[in-house]
Amino acid sequence: MIWFIMIATGLFTFATRFIMLSNGISNRPPLWLVDALGFVPIAVLTAIIVPAILVDPADQTIALWDNPRLFAAALAIIAALVTRQMITTIGVGLVALWILQWAM
Amino acid sequence: MPKAQNNPTASQNLSAGSEFWAGVREEVPLIFGVAPFGLVFGVLGIESGLSPWQTILMSSILFGGASQIVFAQLWAAGVPALIVGGSVCVINLRHVLYSASIAAYLRHLPLRWRILLGYLLTDEAYAISIRRLQHEPPGPNQHFHLLGSGMLLWVSWQFATIFGVLVGGTIPDSWSLSFAIPLTFIAVVAPILKTRADLAAVITAGTIAIIGQPLPWNSWLIIAAIGGILAGWLVSRLNHQAGATS
Repeated sequence: MIWFIMIATGLFTFATRFIMLSNGISNRPPLWLVDALGFVPIAVLTAIIVPAILVDPADQTIALWDNPRLFAAALAIIAALVTRQMITTIGVGLVALWILQWAM
Repeated sequence: MPKAQNNPTASQNLSAGSEFWAGVREEVPLIFGVAPFGLVFGVLGIESGLSPWQTILMSSILFGGASQIVFAQLWAAGVPALIVGGSVCVINLRHVLYSASIAAYLRHLPLRWRILLGYLLTDEAYAISIRRLQHEPPGPNQHFHLLGSGMLLWVSWQFATIFGVLVGGTIPDSWSLSFAIPLTFIAVVAPILKTRADLAAVITAGTIAIIGQPLPWNSWLIIAAIGGILAGWLVSRLNHQAGATS
């Protein structure tokens, strides 16, 4: 079953990359669709980021103040905005989390 | 191969080799972000209960970082296959944009070239090669630039995945390495937030993702994604209209 889904989603993913390169499609997608697709990365990644920070992996409850991941993520956001470097952002976030987990 | 010491601004007829190696060179800085990401996926794939072969081959079959992570996480949570597949597909829809934007430069190529370059059309390869295609003089071998950036990315992604699969079991849980996943995505999203519409997409997607936690099958992910896309799109529409009438 897992192989079937993997190959099916793989084919779909290839199709999203190839579709506009195919000769069958001669037009650019309509502007409203281009606009909407432009929000896909932001929306999808935010939907992954927020629960990964706020939901406690141990008991699946939502944790705010007693939550080292929240503070580590806040520092990582600052690092991302200032440096715009992926490696720095990951480094700042992970080190902050280690220090906070050790201290809290 | 890269013996040609052409001056890129003077010549429009760069050899296939110099286009290819320019693509490789310009892609290198991005590998510093991609390699840890691939490593984390390799580790996470094993932790999610995928076999080593499933994890490694997913990096070739899907070849899309965010979608592979989501695949592994949903699979580990026992989510029905249809929801796993739907979530992966929504995440990868963005490639249609890259495909549309790069089509004018590639459409004259033979089918086998378009299939190969389509397969290699990731976020990172697109970001590098569209700059060359749009801002530098056109040349008969310009598609080799995308081949170079795409192949370096592909090779790095495969090696990083394999490395993650191999070392995964030896990394202690206390390192919280899976936290590198939201951090990676923060590094992608935070710098590209510019407009009010972007913020609307973020707030909507984040809120739904939290409120929707009790929903079955982790379906909050796909609902939050679609909600965020709609919110961003609506706000950008309203802004356009306000701009047009004022």
